[in-house]
Amino acid sequence: MTENTKNKPAPGICLSWEDVRKELPNIQGDEELFKRIWNDNEALAYMYIWQVLLSF
Amino acid sequence: MRNEKPDRIPIRPFVAEFTAKYAGYTCQEVTHDYTKAFEAACRCAADFDWDAIVPNMVYVWTGLTQAIGLKYYGVPGMDVPVNTGFQYREPPEDNAYMKEDEYDLLAADPTGYLFNVWLPRVSKYVCPQGQPVTIQNNLSFLKGGMAMLSYFTAFGPQIQRLREESGTVSAIAGIFKAPFDILADKLRGYLGLTMDLFERPGQVRRACEALMPHLLHVALTGADPLKQVPIGFWMHRGCTPFINMKQFDNLYWPTLKPIIEEIWRHGHQVLFYAEGRWMAHLDSFLELPEGSIVFHVDQDDVFKVHKKIGHKFCISGGIPNYLLAYETPENVRKFCRKVIDEVAVDGGYIMDASAIMQNEIAIENMKALTEFTRDYGVY
Repeated sequence: MTENTKNKPAPGICLSWEDVRKELPNIQGDEELFKRIWNDNEALAYMYIWQVLLSF
Repeated sequence: MRNEKPDRIPIRPFVAEFTAKYAGYTCQEVTHDYTKAFEAACRCAADFDWDAIVPNMVYVWTGLTQAIGLKYYGVPGMDVPVNTGFQYREPPEDNAYMKEDEYDLLAADPTGYLFNVWLPRVSKYVCPQGQPVTIQNNLSFLKGGMAMLSYFTAFGPQIQRLREESGTVSAIAGIFKAPFDILADKLRGYLGLTMDLFERPGQVRRACEALMPHLLHVALTGADPLKQVPIGFWMHRGCTPFINMKQFDNLYWPTLKPIIEEIWRHGHQVLFYAEGRWMAHLDSFLELPEGSIVFHVDQDDVFKVHKKIGHKFCISGGIPNYLLAYETPENVRKFCRKVIDEVAVDGGYIMDASAIMQNEIAIENMKALTEFTRDYGVY
């Protein structure tokens, strides 16, 4: 993740949408929708690793 | 919790393996099967009629840690006896989970560091970067993620059950730890970190600062949306003599205070679960906004703490665990009377033991604490 991530991910994010977006084909629909759902799922992965660190 | 005077003194015991003892379970059962831990907590809350508890204070569900393959727990019934509480095993100084030259890597991207470097070291299943993945690696993430979701989702119904069956509310919501403690507990280890404080203090400081926004984020995302119960802050080794005053003033506190202030700006209180002795640092805590924290007393003198900060913050705990484990109910009542007379006289006090209660606590002494506080702790 570190070597693949150019933008330092903000809290709540593991892989930034801006970096992932570059690897996606042209988006014809609502990019904000793609971004929002991507980030929602990112939050779950983020919760996983930080909860392992803090709680378990 | 807002340092006001209620109708009566709230009873909010942080009961962990005590619940297993009371409900007839082993430590292995409540640690490895969280449904039994939930059941034991509900049974205690109902029978003792407590005002608030942690829905499961045997918080580390070892079914989850086993799915991930975490190496650092001594699991009841496997690594330690069936009726011994789970143990955290800190790595030796020469085999820490984070190496001394990795501070900059951690500071550059804490989340990436945790996934790529730390997790493969603490899990026996997760493969280090660059090595072929295995089925154990893949299953660790799949089972670990699903198990965590299953566990966390179960807290909602558990909290609802406590409310319905006994009118007991959840004592805390969310989790917070200080950046320094994260480094000491799970990354460098205490011994490694204390050496780093002398050899590379700047790197330690930058790593703590890099952790700050993440620890704030985790605290806020787990907090009570109704802002009624505090975020639990587990304080481990930021006090003297684990570190000296200079290290507290220059590192621990400056990387902690802004987070507490930001949490308060969001409308959440923080429960300072001050494990150990923090008397030397109470002046620093007095810098925080009035009512922003609840200060839990462990080994400090609860009477002295009250005199020092009771005008500004609600206080909880301070009933020694040894008293509850090994003394008589009469002595428990005597000490509770003194605390109620001197600390709780104007409100701003929550009845609880000093430390998390495991299975050495005597049931008759918990009955004495509860019944005496109910009878005598009325305003």
